[in-house]
Amino acid sequence: MIRIRLALSSIGLSIFAVAAMAGCRGSESTNPIDPVLPASPSTLIVEGHAAVNDRYTAELWVNGTYAYTTTWGTRTNNSVTARGNAIKIWDVSSPTPALLDSVIVADATTLGDVQVTADGKYLVVATETVPGSIVIFDLQNPAKPVQIARFHNADTDPGVHTAEIQPVNGKLYGFLSIDPRGSIAARLVIVDLTTPSAPTQVFSRVMGTPYVHDVYVRDGILMTALWNDGLAIFDIGGGGKGGTPASPVQLGTLKTVGGKAHNIVWFHDAGTGSKKYAFVGEEGPGSIGSASVGDVHVIDVSDMANPIEVGFFNVAGAGVHNFSADEQRGILYLAYYNGGVRAISTRGDLASCTTAQKSSDGRCDLGKMGHELARGLLDTGGSVYVWGVQFTGGKLYASDMLNGLWRLSAAPAF
Amino acid sequence: MGARAWSAIVTVLLGLSAVSPVAGRAQSPNMVMGAPDSAKNESSVRLMAGASAVLLGTRASPAINSKSLTEGYLSQPMLMGTAIFPRHSVDLAATLNLEGITLQRGELNAGMNGEGYVDRRHPHTFIHEFVATWKRNAGDDGVVSVTAGKGFVPFGSDDPMSRPLLKYPVNHHLAQILERAVVIGAASYGPVLLEVARFNGDEPESPSDLPNARRLFDSWSGRATARIREKAEIQTSFASVVSPEVAAGGGLNQKKWSASARYESEGLYGFAEYAHTKELETSRDAFAFATMLAEGSVSRHGAMLAARVERTERPEEERLSDPFRTPRPASDLSILGRTRWTLLTVNASRSYDVARSRVAPFVEVGRAKAASIGTLSVFDPKGFYGSDVMWSVSVGLRLGIGMMHHRMGKYGAALPRGAVNMRDMDMSQ
Repeated sequence: MIRIRLALSSIGLSIFAVAAMAGCRGSESTNPIDPVLPASPSTLIVEGHAAVNDRYTAELWVNGTYAYTTTWGTRTNNSVTARGNAIKIWDVSSPTPALLDSVIVADATTLGDVQVTADGKYLVVATETVPGSIVIFDLQNPAKPVQIARFHNADTDPGVHTAEIQPVNGKLYGFLSIDPRGSIAARLVIVDLTTPSAPTQVFSRVMGTPYVHDVYVRDGILMTALWNDGLAIFDIGGGGKGGTPASPVQLGTLKTVGGKAHNIVWFHDAGTGSKKYAFVGEEGPGSIGSASVGDVHVIDVSDMANPIEVGFFNVAGAGVHNFSADEQRGILYLAYYNGGVRAISTRGDLASCTTAQKSSDGRCDLGKMGHELARGLLDTGGSVYVWGVQFTGGKLYASDMLNGLWRLSAAPAF
Repeated sequence: MGARAWSAIVTVLLGLSAVSPVAGRAQSPNMVMGAPDSAKNESSVRLMAGASAVLLGTRASPAINSKSLTEGYLSQPMLMGTAIFPRHSVDLAATLNLEGITLQRGELNAGMNGEGYVDRRHPHTFIHEFVATWKRNAGDDGVVSVTAGKGFVPFGSDDPMSRPLLKYPVNHHLAQILERAVVIGAASYGPVLLEVARFNGDEPESPSDLPNARRLFDSWSGRATARIREKAEIQTSFASVVSPEVAAGGGLNQKKWSASARYESEGLYGFAEYAHTKELETSRDAFAFATMLAEGSVSRHGAMLAARVERTERPEEERLSDPFRTPRPASDLSILGRTRWTLLTVNASRSYDVARSRVAPFVEVGRAKAASIGTLSVFDPKGFYGSDVMWSVSVGLRLGIGMMHHRMGKYGAALPRGAVNMRDMDMSQ
């Protein structure tokens, strides 16, 4: 379950330096636009923590002083078994989140994605498994969500794995990645949410091998994470090819190295104006609580008809899950399961590196280029398994399947 | 299951008792029928048929979430037939398995997992086996054969349905590969048998599922067997299976190894195996599961005592609202951890002739102990089940009419020389 979080409200002025000369940490790069990177990753300080032990915590969404976390699977604690059918509502006005309430969603074993619409009026949650659906809540009182609709049909019934809620040309849509089930193939369903209490399906198509796992939507462009089929980019109103949410027009595809394309963010750097790179998360095999594997893949999407993989970021012994972007400062925060939280710089020419910084297939290794800025949750005294991150209001939040909700300091300026 | 379906099954079973060509009956597992008397005319087509089922009650305690469950089933209902065409050196074998009707919820079976079921054994596909085999002698001591159809892949050990204990071993999906579209080439010379096969990697998705045409022959296996005086055999085998758990492809691949030894003589049966499955994505190892199992039986005058001890590792997966089911295919490649299951099962039965059929009442007791592998596993068996030790008691009747496939899953040159692939129903096994 991956989602790229846009954190457009970062603290203060963006502080970044463009090196006039080579400034890569430990590198020999002479590219003049490379940022000045710290000599070694700093630590994302834990500012607050709220434990959740009854259920596995899944995704999070922070909206002002409220946060919403979902729950996953089945957890047994002290011989009490609880399903992942709860939305937990938090007061995050102080460093330590305070649990306000929980909402139980009927007929759900997992609530994966959760998102508040940009106007703050609605909360949308994806449900698995049968009947897969999206549940829409009114947030007139953010502490007391009121369910106003539940959308499901034969297409969504196998399970809604992720749901991305974004506007396209002024209209609100939901982009639902549907699980495969038995001989039923995975598919993408697009729902018109103009009237949130009465969603209507406008598009449905089988996608992915074997899954379509998540999407990223911005500026009328739809990017889909199609697992072993990699990345596919569609015009749905902003690509100039006549596409719409009801009739997407494919612009380009790319099979990412290793496949297992799980989530995407198309980074719009507010500091440099660059929209050159998309970051694709790869989710390999994992054992919840202890092990994971999978890289971040850097894709040059400046020509959307011919996207090119130019780099990657790897953490030994851990795999990446959800992302959150601090576009003001050019930082991408990464939920890294048992590897905690990582922050990497997205600035500079990510396709240009020394021979020593390249993999055997010619891609640039962001780790060797010194782009890792900070790490968090590696010294909590126990295991972590970080599902999601969100950077907002100058603060960084992380949802941890094993331990609940954390608040961390932001990565320091570089 | 509706009354009509039950009625149809009973009618078929009773009907077979009237048409069965069987005159004699084997009394021990090693007594394999050769050609029946009616087959003395070597050019005539021979037909054989049989049916079997198990009327079963099981109490499992705890079964799940600290709860005990008592359930009844018609388990392993099968119709079997073989047609032999001597003039063409060809035989056809078919097994219709009706568990898709009688066992949709699955059968309580602690530790068992596979095909979307966990702690219950899944129903098999209706077309359990439908193969054609061409077989020819090669010299005085050699046999070659080619088999094609849907059936058992030459890997690992015999199908648990043709073994003495009723409840399946937990290692079923580590130690056998079945219900695949398969082409097998086999050759034996003296005591040595070699088999190689290509087959579709995808496991069945439901009882009515057929092998995925797009996946045809994407996987392969090989098995080498040495027979010792027709009573004992040892085998070692390997299989490379593409994406067995994601039928559309793109899931984890498996490399499987198996080694086993088997002894069977009048009144005695013994078997031991080791198997190992490694799951990989692209070229990177993901998970590995191992199993060791030993079982045996003693039969005298229709009475049988059998026992099995097993230690098998399995993955723990996300469960659905029905805690005995898991998403299939899973929506990603993660598991909750691995558990090691240690099981002891004992079975006692007595076989009786009733009209032209055989009936064998039995009682079977099982003890299963589950333990997490690795200190960081988030799956806690004791918390989940209510205890890390689970007991089950089963009582029931094995029913059999006519002839059943011998060493189910072995075809052509893999069968003992001179034998056809069916034998008289022997309820003492």
